Amino acid sequence: MKLLSFFTATRGRQRLDWTDWLTYSYLVFGLFLMFGPVLWLVASSFKTEAALSEFPPSLLPYGQKSISVPGEDKPKPVYRVKLADGSTRELPELRRIGLTATYADPARPDELIRGNIKDRVPVREFRLATENYTDLIGKLDFGTYLWNSVFITVVATFLTLLFNSMAAFALSKYQFRGRSGVFLLIIATLMVPPAIVLVPNFLVITELGLLNSLWSVIWPAVATPTGVFMLRQYMLTIPDELLEAARMDHASEWQIYWRIMLPLAAPALAVLAIFSVMWRWNDFLWPLIVLSKAEKFTLQLALNAFQGDLITQWNYLLAMTVITLLPITIVFAFLQKYITQGIASAGVK
Amino acid sequence: MASLELKNIIKDFGETRVIHGVDLQVNDGEFVVFVGPSGCGKSTLLRMICGLEQASSGDIHLDGERVNNTRAADRGLAMVFQSYALYPHMTVYQNMAFGLENMGLAKAVVKAKVGEASKLLRLDTFLERKPTQLSGGQRQRVAIGRAIVREPKIFLFDEPLSNLDAELRVSMRSEITGLHRRLGSTMIYVTHDQVEAMTMADKIVVLRLGKIEQVGSPLDLYNQPDNRFVAGFIGSPQMNFVPVKAGENGQVTTAHGTTITLSTERPVAAGTSLTLGVRPEHLSLVETPGSLGLPVKVTEVEQLGGHCLIYGNLPNDGTRITAHCEGQQPTSIGDTVTLYAKPETCHLFEIDGQEKAVR
Repeated sequence: MKLLSFFTATRGRQRLDWTDWLTYSYLVFGLFLMFGPVLWLVASSFKTEAALSEFPPSLLPYGQKSISVPGEDKPKPVYRVKLADGSTRELPELRRIGLTATYADPARPDELIRGNIKDRVPVREFRLATENYTDLIGKLDFGTYLWNSVFITVVATFLTLLFNSMAAFALSKYQFRGRSGVFLLIIATLMVPPAIVLVPNFLVITELGLLNSLWSVIWPAVATPTGVFMLRQYMLTIPDELLEAARMDHASEWQIYWRIMLPLAAPALAVLAIFSVMWRWNDFLWPLIVLSKAEKFTLQLALNAFQGDLITQWNYLLAMTVITLLPITIVFAFLQKYITQGIASAGVK
Repeated sequence: MASLELKNIIKDFGETRVIHGVDLQVNDGEFVVFVGPSGCGKSTLLRMICGLEQASSGDIHLDGERVNNTRAADRGLAMVFQSYALYPHMTVYQNMAFGLENMGLAKAVVKAKVGEASKLLRLDTFLERKPTQLSGGQRQRVAIGRAIVREPKIFLFDEPLSNLDAELRVSMRSEITGLHRRLGSTMIYVTHDQVEAMTMADKIVVLRLGKIEQVGSPLDLYNQPDNRFVAGFIGSPQMNFVPVKAGENGQVTTAHGTTITLSTERPVAAGTSLTLGVRPEHLSLVETPGSLGLPVKVTEVEQLGGHCLIYGNLPNDGTRITAHCEGQQPTSIGDTVTLYAKPETCHLFEIDGQEKAVR
């Protein structure tokens, strides 16, 4: 009820104010602009390959109706056929030779009906082509790609949190010569476009012999200036007195970091974790460069591989796109509070 | 159980010198209060004692041993911070046990010690709570408990009551002094509140601008302030200061011509300008022989039932005078009343240099 009144809130009390018209039309327009492609993608991922190439396209996934015919292994497609006597009937097609199709009559199985293919239209019904999804899991190395993506995302996120929080701890809580200089250097790397460091990074990875290893995607991503900046700014707000109290409590510097700083910086760590997951999961260019063997592909690379030079299996491509989007969608849905907080605090997207 | 000695402690922050050579002796079992206005260096001094801050020069001796280069944790002191500095993500028990666990004590020992301290501070029912679920006074007690479990040589308190409301402050004050009596340990307490200093201390150290102004028992400081700053700082409402001129035979004369004869510790040349100090509670509306009369034009009267506060100005130079009179006085704004100060309650201060007391 609350939700309903929220969604139907208006400015005018009795009649709709002109601002209501403006607001709602703007919002509806925005909704379609943002949501339309996504819905289109999801709907299309349930279409058969044939339905995808249809013109004009249909909004919902329709497939040709098929029924099983006695004596035949596979279900047969059903057509609405105009018979010689002028009547129309829905009949399953047994086979087709040239322009002549042979239909079976389910009522009288031994009687065959022949007709020109001009005189028929396929019978269509609403049908979800779930085989787009099931085939992916069976036929392709989908499991491998998923594992690669998950491994890179989880390990890189863990290492990012660890290293960035250690750097942030030192930069926020220790007084040492050159502290601001180091911090400025780290921040300054934000100004270098990623495309510029592609080649140097590639050379380093090659020299280290990490090419075609998942670690080649993980290591360059571990130290992020954004993460250091975000965590440092948060850690600055943790009072020094806590650290002093811990020092009086015989805590070593590592214990202060591990048992005091990390738990207290949890909100900032959560934000960085979300960002890191999104970055690593959606990463495309860098994995494309360093991972060239199919068994090391991430989901994003596998998606790309579906687009062949000559043919593109659109139905699989779309289904896989949907699967690839799911984790990020879930992350957004459940952690949006932290994401907005993170964007507000660090000004990153 | 320990004594502390500071020898010529100096502290510089960059170019700024904040502590100018402090010498101090704290005896075993004493409750010492550092008091002074904000920025006087009292907290810095405390932080140097506990080892969170390094002294630029000078020696800190703990039980006769020089501890300048000993780590804070190894000095065997415990500090209660102004903000309590409780670990917000730990329960009360974990807060109190953290230090003991880090020292490598057995779990059973830790449990026993925390249990004992929490009983002493009536915290035993809150052990599983987080600090955010506690009231200000309870948090304060947890902070003290964290200090107690470590059985420190000296307790250090850095303005521990400044975040509490007035009522709680009074009860926590007596709780801390009660604790001092029970444990018998040495305690050093920093505050800017002279009432806390007067009520709690065995020995008060008055600091100003990084220097010790006077050290003594509360009543010594009240009765015999060494200089005008201490006289003004100790006591509430503040002591009244009246400009006077010295005459012959110990006579001093105010600007409006009333005189009083006072004996001085040191001879004062006739014609020297001095400041006469008299506490509000020593001014009376009743004349006694030999007392100094101060004709005051009343600007404000506060009737508090048991006593009343009369505020006013002296006629010639407009010096503000506050008087604390017993009972309910029929005085109203605009009246001119004469307030009398007995010679034995009057203080005299030089007006230049350190404004030392001459009486």
